[in-house]
Amino acid sequence: MARYGMALNYKNCINCRACETACKEENGVLLGRDNYRIWVGVKEAEGEFPNISIMSQVYHPSQCQHCDNAPCQQVCPTNATYYDENHVVRVNPTKCILCTYCINACPYDARYVDNRTVTVDKCNFCSDTRLANGETTTACQATCPTKVRVFGDLDDPKSEISQLLATKEYRRVKEHLGTEPKLFYIL
Amino acid sequence: MNSFSVKQLFTFEKTPLNLLMAFITIGLLAAFAAGAVAYLIHGHHAYNVTRQHPWGLLISMYVFFVVSSTGLCIISSIGHVFGIPEFQQIGKRAIAGAIITISSGFAVIGLEIGHPMTMVIYNVLTPGLTSAIWWMGTLYGLYLAFICMEFFFLAIKENHKLSKFFGIGGLLVGLAAHSNLGAVFGFLISRPSANGVFYPVYFILSAMITGCYLVFLMYGFRYKMNFPEKVTVMLTKLSKILGMLLAVLIFFEIWKILTALYGDMPERAATILHTIKHPNFWFGEVILGMLIPFTIILLSNAKAIKATIYASITGMIGIFFMRYDLVHDTLIYPMTMLKRSEYQLPPTFLEYFPSPAEFAVGFGGIGLCLFLYYIADKVFNLDESHSH
Repeated sequence: MARYGMALNYKNCINCRACETACKEENGVLLGRDNYRIWVGVKEAEGEFPNISIMSQVYHPSQCQHCDNAPCQQVCPTNATYYDENHVVRVNPTKCILCTYCINACPYDARYVDNRTVTVDKCNFCSDTRLANGETTTACQATCPTKVRVFGDLDDPKSEISQLLATKEYRRVKEHLGTEPKLFYIL
Repeated sequence: MNSFSVKQLFTFEKTPLNLLMAFITIGLLAAFAAGAVAYLIHGHHAYNVTRQHPWGLLISMYVFFVVSSTGLCIISSIGHVFGIPEFQQIGKRAIAGAIITISSGFAVIGLEIGHPMTMVIYNVLTPGLTSAIWWMGTLYGLYLAFICMEFFFLAIKENHKLSKFFGIGGLLVGLAAHSNLGAVFGFLISRPSANGVFYPVYFILSAMITGCYLVFLMYGFRYKMNFPEKVTVMLTKLSKILGMLLAVLIFFEIWKILTALYGDMPERAATILHTIKHPNFWFGEVILGMLIPFTIILLSNAKAIKATIYASITGMIGIFFMRYDLVHDTLIYPMTMLKRSEYQLPPTFLEYFPSPAEFAVGFGGIGLCLFLYYIADKVFNLDESHSH
């Protein structure tokens, strides 16, 4: 069994949002303001014309961080949120009571209500649509034109992601909360 | 139990106050029904909750009702659990109120939880033991069973020993349940303004204050401000307890705010500064909920019973704002500060205002309380038994 994670060369992101589109298409995410599993956050350039700091503008692709110590899993009253055999944080819609406590507990705004099942939904690294079919990439990774995303098994020292994390500096989002996120932003 | 017929059940003295209460009750019940229908048709789309602000007025009202229930249970236990003689007369009326308020709370939360039947099944089959909601819900279920048994042995089949046994059980389980409700917010590591020990402790304190306000209101209505000597003595003592509790609450709040602001800790300080500047806090919570009742009690040396009863109305409005702010202020700081689409300003403090359906269900729950209290008052003798 694997322990999947994702490394992001986020400085390569061009904000084309092909990843958002691919995710929606692959996983059947409905249209609508609040319906998205992944997104690209934009930090706008700082300063006033003509002294605008172009370097301060950042595109920050984000999604569920698949924390090893996930607050959403801890707070779920029916264990509808669980770690699957690949350490992917998943939601079982049969058990979800839609109390939305997990949405409150998630520090990353990674969860939303799926109006198809009327339960909470989130990124699952394309577990149902791709990993279950033996594929080893996610839709967002496969579609990215600048190869921002590297997906793979963190427990396999020979995997591309392990090699990358062994040689590059990285940071994780809100690491101080002790959530042990498995999304790594390469510096 | 009183002997009664359906006709007697809906017959009451047509005083202006009684008629006003009847109109308010019917109006709120109708609102509850309309809100429930809107929810059954549209689901959560009938509410103004969003991905960023997933809890709203209905969670506030649920907390409001269960705080009321726990408070009444705690205050009633002063008499028939701890044996303080003056307070034994409260027992039945307060426990009836506790059952009614928690039932209304369950009715409101039933229209907020997306799948209540799934909850009943999987709370048992796959319990989330690390979840404060699981503990809170399970303990509140147990608490309701205890206080129902307590009421049975207080009002239907009088048995002092058993009522005391179930009273102690209800009190302990109620305290555990209620502090777990505080922990639902206190355990949120993602929300620095709520995270910590404050809420589990504060919930018990504010429950006791709510219980005092409600006892004042129930007795004010029961005796139409003409209190027998025995009741006056009890209410005077209760007023002193309320004054002390309010002083402790004010002390708690001051230190909560100071520690939140001190050092300008990211997220926490900004959130608290934003919330204390809002009228919901300084007018609703502080002036209505704390200062008006506290000043009356302080200036009258706890002897102005009638004024304290009127102040209990402002007090309960203040308690409502405390519950509303508890939910709203916890969620007000966005979890991501980067903008997500081109035609959007960078995120700032979240806005939320309840939808008409949320108002209807939430405040309709008060109608349920009033209606059930009216029925309970008709069906059972809620006054102390040996005085009749």
